[in-house]
Amino acid sequence: MTDVTAPAATHLRRSPLHDRHAALGAKFAPFGGWDMPLEYAGGGVIKEHTAVREAVGVFDVSHLGKARVTGPGAAAFVNACLSNDLDRIGGGQAQYTLCCDDATGGVVDDVIAYRFTDEHVFLIPNAANTAEVVRRLKAAAPPSVIVTNEHEEYAILAVQGPRSAAVLTALGLPAGHAYMSFVEADLAGPGVSVVVCRTGYTGEHGYELVVPAEHAVAVWDALFTAGEPEGIRACGLAARDTLRTEMGYPLHGQDLSPEISPVQARLGWAVGWGKPAFWGRAALVAEKAAGPRRALWGLEAVDRGIPRCHMTVYAGDTAVGEVTSGTFSPTRRTGIALALLDTAAGLGEGSTVEVDVRGRHSAMRVVKPPFVTPSVK
Amino acid sequence: MIPEDLRYTAEHEWVAGDGVAGPVRIGITHFAQDALGDIVYVQLPDEGAAVEAGQAIGEVESTKSVSEIYAPLSGTVVARNDKLGDTPEEINADPYGSGWLVEIAPSDPAAVAALLTAAAYRELTES
Repeated sequence: MTDVTAPAATHLRRSPLHDRHAALGAKFAPFGGWDMPLEYAGGGVIKEHTAVREAVGVFDVSHLGKARVTGPGAAAFVNACLSNDLDRIGGGQAQYTLCCDDATGGVVDDVIAYRFTDEHVFLIPNAANTAEVVRRLKAAAPPSVIVTNEHEEYAILAVQGPRSAAVLTALGLPAGHAYMSFVEADLAGPGVSVVVCRTGYTGEHGYELVVPAEHAVAVWDALFTAGEPEGIRACGLAARDTLRTEMGYPLHGQDLSPEISPVQARLGWAVGWGKPAFWGRAALVAEKAAGPRRALWGLEAVDRGIPRCHMTVYAGDTAVGEVTSGTFSPTRRTGIALALLDTAAGLGEGSTVEVDVRGRHSAMRVVKPPFVTPSVK
Repeated sequence: MIPEDLRYTAEHEWVAGDGVAGPVRIGITHFAQDALGDIVYVQLPDEGAAVEAGQAIGEVESTKSVSEIYAPLSGTVVARNDKLGDTPEEINADPYGSGWLVEIAPSDPAAVAALLTAAAYRELTES
């Protein structure tokens, strides 16, 4: 046995719920500069994963970034920078969008944008990229538009799973609104104003609650009290990773990066191709027209091999790509992966490839994600 | 969670038996299974394989990482826990019991006494 002890976490930021996690026996790991729960005592990845697929789980995702763009023309400004067409949605709706590099079209970050009004957009970037996204927006903003980094001012609690609506209803919070929409509401007991968004990263029906940091503990406690009859369970970021991989949702830093474009990652649906301007437009339009040199596919293990990030993919003796995310799927009970495969190799759905799993070649089938049918609606 | 009657290695494995009366049984410790998390795949050496102390002889893979299994002493593999093929989670549930990995007939039984005692292993994991 080797590598069973994690390096000491130093200079990491802490969630306002850190003490709650410690009391639940969490193992912590660094995520984008934050010391966050990986899994909990008495739980573990598979139990926590299964709780979300079959009942309900709560994730502390307070490490995620928060940034606010306000002022006359705020929404139009965001729409001229980020990739997706913000005019496809109205006030009270959220959208998955990308912050691309203007020169290369590579993905600086993927972001959820909450459109409050034409003059108010709230952004949720990834923890590690928040400062960079804010820097780029600030540098481009006209004088009327104010961009503020509110990273530590809010906690975010993701309540995910088929019983999540019942938990919110028991708390007196709105639960019936449509997928990708949000509602501002007051949580009666603690008297806290929260934003309840029908979003998530698990593929299940779920909500993300944006809560002022000083009230995070009160909301966390209220969720567990209300959720007890539903079998609610605290879930760590390790289970969040297996859940999102089963859905084929990309993770920035692995399946998306400044070196990987949305065309390669098959995120063309998150690009407003008809918009006159957004960062990276010229590069991405050209890449789309020429066809990407590589594309993101799913791989499903045929044998017992478990693919992992950075493993090489072979077709015969030729290296044709690299695994960008790989894990054991607790739902399918098999190895699954996302992998960037060279277009020139001519692979497609149903092709068989081999992944070099620590020196052994493991057979994998090329598939289109998701690996598990989503039930987000 | 560190049984007194076993011997241990710095690689978080346990060894049961003195090697004189019969083969020794080998597994990973509670500490190791807890650090790995949910174990989903185990690869073990074939029966009859000759192994050298310190040699990597297999792998234990969890949802999040993989660790090699090292031979704690030299000898011949005389049995392996094939049930782990279908139920690798036994290692998490019962690391010192039904989650055992292999049995080795040591080429030099004296090697067993040279392994860490429970007290020495406890010191290692608490440091």
